[in-house]
Amino acid sequence: MVTRIVVGYTANESGADALALGGRLAAASEALLEVVMVLPIEARGAVVPPDTGYERHLKERSRGWLAEASARLGDGVEQSLHIRYAESFAEGLVAAAHEFDASLIVVGAARGGLLGRSRIGSVANDLLHSSDVPVALAPAGSRETPVSLGVTRITGAVGTRSGAGSVLDISVRLARLTHAPLRLVSLVSIDLPAGMDEELASLASTAHADDVLTEARRALPAGTTATSVVASGDTIEQAVAALEWHAGEVVLVGSSRLATPSRLFLGSTASKMLRELPVPMIVVPRATS
Amino acid sequence: MTQEPHQHHTEPHAPLTTASAAVDGGDTGLSKKGLSAGSVGLIGAIVIGISCVAPAYTLTGALGPTVAEVGTQLPAIFLLGFIPMLLVALGYRELNNAMPDSGTSFTWATRAFGPWVGWMGGWGLIAATVVVLSNLAGIAVEFFYLALAQAFNNPEIAELVGNPLVNVATCLVFIVGATLISYRDMQTTQKVQYWLVGFQLLVMIGFGVAAFWHVANGTAFDPTQVELSWFNPFEVGSFSAVVAGLSVSLFVFWGWDVTLTMNEETKGSRTTPGRAATLTVTIVVAIYLFVAMGSLAFAGTGTEGFGLGNPDIQENAFFYLAGPILGPLAILMSIAVLSSSAASLQSTFVSPARTLLAMGHYGALPKKFATVSPRFFTPGYATIVSAIVAGGFYTVMRFISDEVLWDTIATLGLMICFYYGITAFACVWYFRKLWFKSGRNVFFMLVAPFVGGVILTVLFFTTLIDSMDPAFGSGSEIGGVGLVFVLSVVILLTGVVIMFWQRWKRPAFFRGETLSRAVAED
Repeated sequence: MVTRIVVGYTANESGADALALGGRLAAASEALLEVVMVLPIEARGAVVPPDTGYERHLKERSRGWLAEASARLGDGVEQSLHIRYAESFAEGLVAAAHEFDASLIVVGAARGGLLGRSRIGSVANDLLHSSDVPVALAPAGSRETPVSLGVTRITGAVGTRSGAGSVLDISVRLARLTHAPLRLVSLVSIDLPAGMDEELASLASTAHADDVLTEARRALPAGTTATSVVASGDTIEQAVAALEWHAGEVVLVGSSRLATPSRLFLGSTASKMLRELPVPMIVVPRATS
Repeated sequence: MTQEPHQHHTEPHAPLTTASAAVDGGDTGLSKKGLSAGSVGLIGAIVIGISCVAPAYTLTGALGPTVAEVGTQLPAIFLLGFIPMLLVALGYRELNNAMPDSGTSFTWATRAFGPWVGWMGGWGLIAATVVVLSNLAGIAVEFFYLALAQAFNNPEIAELVGNPLVNVATCLVFIVGATLISYRDMQTTQKVQYWLVGFQLLVMIGFGVAAFWHVANGTAFDPTQVELSWFNPFEVGSFSAVVAGLSVSLFVFWGWDVTLTMNEETKGSRTTPGRAATLTVTIVVAIYLFVAMGSLAFAGTGTEGFGLGNPDIQENAFFYLAGPILGPLAILMSIAVLSSSAASLQSTFVSPARTLLAMGHYGALPKKFATVSPRFFTPGYATIVSAIVAGGFYTVMRFISDEVLWDTIATLGLMICFYYGITAFACVWYFRKLWFKSGRNVFFMLVAPFVGGVILTVLFFTTLIDSMDPAFGSGSEIGGVGLVFVLSVVILLTGVVIMFWQRWKRPAFFRGETLSRAVAED
């Protein structure tokens, strides 16, 4: 079976980050890279008249951008280039992922352009709202990591919440495809009101995290080995910072229980992790089986 | 673009065949949406057309200046002004079908007449749109403060408009906002725009009805009997006055042509664009005539108070008439004009930016102008340059003229004559080998654009000569010469100077190496 990875490409730094991460994942897992540029449907609004001439120019320009991107990526990765039209970038990528039966969408996580408010760019944000395919967020600077580095470790962030099951499955599969060692992590934050017995509380939550990890390891398919670690800190951010990370590592997290069409499916823990993580993160939607 | 000059794309390392096949494969499967430009339906096309014409905005700007020239024959002039616009738009459509290109007039005139005429055609288009951008933002400023005054029931707020510093600052804020929206290509969804356009039309109809109701009740300012002579342009008396009125009234139909050229593949059938254009212009003309007649019947053409002949109210008629005619509902007119200006600001921003982009692309201007924002897919650099020039133009105008809005509209009329005229003749010349291939061609490629072009040429030169008179239009002058004349000449000469500068910096375009002359063949 050939796995396919869709890269949502834009001709800026954020797109270069996505392309580099996508290329690295594809090279490591021998997957096919589908580099997709999504152009806006001109007639989606009702103010600016559509203009065939401009649309043609845009397509030509995008073709040039794709060719340049492809040249930069090099021969190591099997790839094809696509231009698609959609109402929004996120919508076009999800549609492309379905079209190619892709198992992953890669986008740049960094915000770009003007008026960005959150740390996650609006494109990644939209995608996290709407995708039913796992989404990999390439942090700013991913373009500096060479494709040849491959994937040096897969880390699955497991919790007791629903969604963890699929995180575990997909982590195992990805580790096998990329021939990378698997690490399971349970994050504990000990953020307590003053006056509580901190020692006791810390002990209790660490014990709980241990249970979660034991449970997860028991659920691993036969023949799979994994290391596991409990990361604790006063906050999730500190817990994440306390862990050691490889340059070529990829982290998987599950989507929030609260995922509804109107809500970010990135849970609060996951978004705190994203703020701190030096490595790419793949968000696995709840419904993925 | 119709041609791809000297684009050195790096050859992809990746399986190029797969790559380009996949890129070309945009017409299969999912990307049926690839034919995206076609997905405008009839209603959508009409809404875009009305948004571009922006009747609430154009009327408030054009009513006064036109009445100043032709008095009660306003309806006649509005009807007459449509003729050259229609004739040229028909030629425009032929060119657009033969050479769809974001550079429109610039590209077509270059193809037909070579780089020099083409360059000036592009310059005329850019100048016209930059002038109208400043006018639009200026009108929006006045109605913004009027709406605030109405909302808080405090007439003093509306007087802030007269303070040049407040006025210019607000206007620049609006221009920055519109630039951001254009740069990021944030479009109102169709549903919202349907409501806004519907609202705009309803308010205009309500305004006309209320005006006639006041006339019937004897509460009108200067009740004036509607007469058939209002529709007779020969009653104006002077040829100069008709010409001056026409060159202002061109502006009220400007933008309508987009419905004709929107696309050949408009959703449904090939007849949709034609029907959309017809319906749009019918709606717009009906509204213009009704509102024009209502305003004349209510206010007359006297030079005192609310009379449309009063120079103090002429440059922004609804600003002064909405209160007496609509009473407590006057705020609706402010909202209608504001939303109409906002939509028009957005659709207008696109044309200079796309023309600048094409000029950059073909090497008629620095390459920077051809930059496309990789994130928003808009001509980012060109958009920002247009905005800076429009803001600068408004600021300068606000300080040298007391009647900025009026003078900019009169100047705009001249610029429209200039570049539409060039476009019309470009159509005639480009299709010269096809004229007599069919009866249809005789009309659409020869007669219509030629007659339209001649009318616009006559309008251009007559208005230009008349505007030297310091009493022309609003009466603004510099050193005893009419301001409109000075402005138009300065704008066009600036174009010539920049053109020669570009000729020196970028000779390839002017040698016809990037965009060559051509003639349509079967």
